[in-house]
Parts: sequence; structure tokens; C-alpha cells
Amino acid sequence: MEKRKRIPARFQVGDRVEVLDLKLEGHIRTPSYIRGKAGTVIQFCGFFLNPEDLSVGNTSGPVYPLYRVSFAMNSLWPGYERSEDDELCIEIYDHWLNPPES
Amino acid sequence: MRGYHDIGGDDAGPIPKEELPWLYWEKKQEAMRNLLGDATRRLVSLDELRHGFESFGIEKYKRYSFYRRRLEALIDTLEIKGVLTREELEEERARVGRDWEPENTGAASHGKT
Repeated sequence: MEKRKRIPARFQVGDRVEVLDLKLEGHIRTPSYIRGKAGTVIQFCGFFLNPEDLSVGNTSGPVYPLYRVSFAMNSLWPGYERSEDDELCIEIYDHWLNPPES
Repeated sequence: MRGYHDIGGDDAGPIPKEELPWLYWEKKQEAMRNLLGDATRRLVSLDELRHGFESFGIEKYKRYSFYRRRLEALIDTLEIKGVLTREELEEERARVGRDWEPENTGAASHGKT
């Protein structure tokens, strides 16, 4: 079997990252409320086929690194009044992330 | 781009905390989807279904339940790929429906067992 192409992982646990707004049409798994926000990588989940490829029936694409990223709740929701330690953790693919302010 | 399904953070009022029964057809449909998408077939991926119901229009999306959305998107995808047509599906549904009519099941003549 032909070896599947693997997109290299650019981030490690502890890295600060910023979520891009790639303005893609079609099925994406990065909700709008998280785009443009800065968070911290808390876990590397592994390499997975890109849902953007799978959503149009392409099962032969490369595998992408997926991370669990944590965001401060009060950085996401204006007027958030609960604990400032509250976090939202969400899984995001590598190509949706950049180092902050790059 | 913010799709009509991308509602995280919107006001939605209180969350109704009620247990919804999982209907038989819903389980059956998920089982079929799993088989159609497994590694030996790869006919329909879950992301294709998501793409389907995220693009078939907000009216349809709001009108249908969670599983009905997935069913409609599943049929659309199978139709696009030439696996079946809506007409074939309707014919089959009518045929199966006829099989379950009392006069065709033999239930009337056998009585209770």
C-alpha cells in the first residue's frame, strides 16, 4: 500500500497559537467564535484525514496534525462573568493555526 | 464564512433538559451509515453528511430533526454518487410497506402464538 502523505506538526504542547480565518467554503470544523482567537496547545491528538477533504469525498488526501487547544472563556465571550480560570478546549487542525501575531 | 449551523455563542434561551428516545429507524440509519462509511466501502463519510446538511438550505435544516438531517444528506450523497435514486428508494419503501399490511403478513389467519 502506498504511504499516505503526512503534513508535519508545527506545534507542541505549551505553544501559544492563533486561530486563522481561512474563509473556506464548504464543510469546516473550526467554528466562527474561535477564529482570530489566541489559545494554548494542551495536547497533540494525532494525525487525521482532513474533514474538508472527506466532506467532498476525497479519501486520498494527506493526514493533518490535530491539537487540543485551550482558550480562556473570558477571551471568547464579551462580558463573561464566571471564573477567569474557565477554559474552553477545542480540537483544531494544524492548517488553521499560526504562531500568534505572525 | 459562518454557516447557518454554526450557532455557537448565539442566544438560545434555556436548554430543555429532557431525555429524547432514540427511535428504531434512527439507530438503523446510523448502522447503515457506519457500514457505508467503513474502511472496506468508504461510500459516504460523516463529513460528507455534514457538508450535505450544512449546505441544503436553512429552511430544510431547521425543519428536520438531527437524524432526519443526516438521513436526507445520506440519500442526497448516495444519489449524487449514483448508488441509488430517490425513485428507487420510494419504490422499495412502498414494497416493504405492502409486506407489512396485515393481509400480506399472514398474521390474520395465524392468530396469536
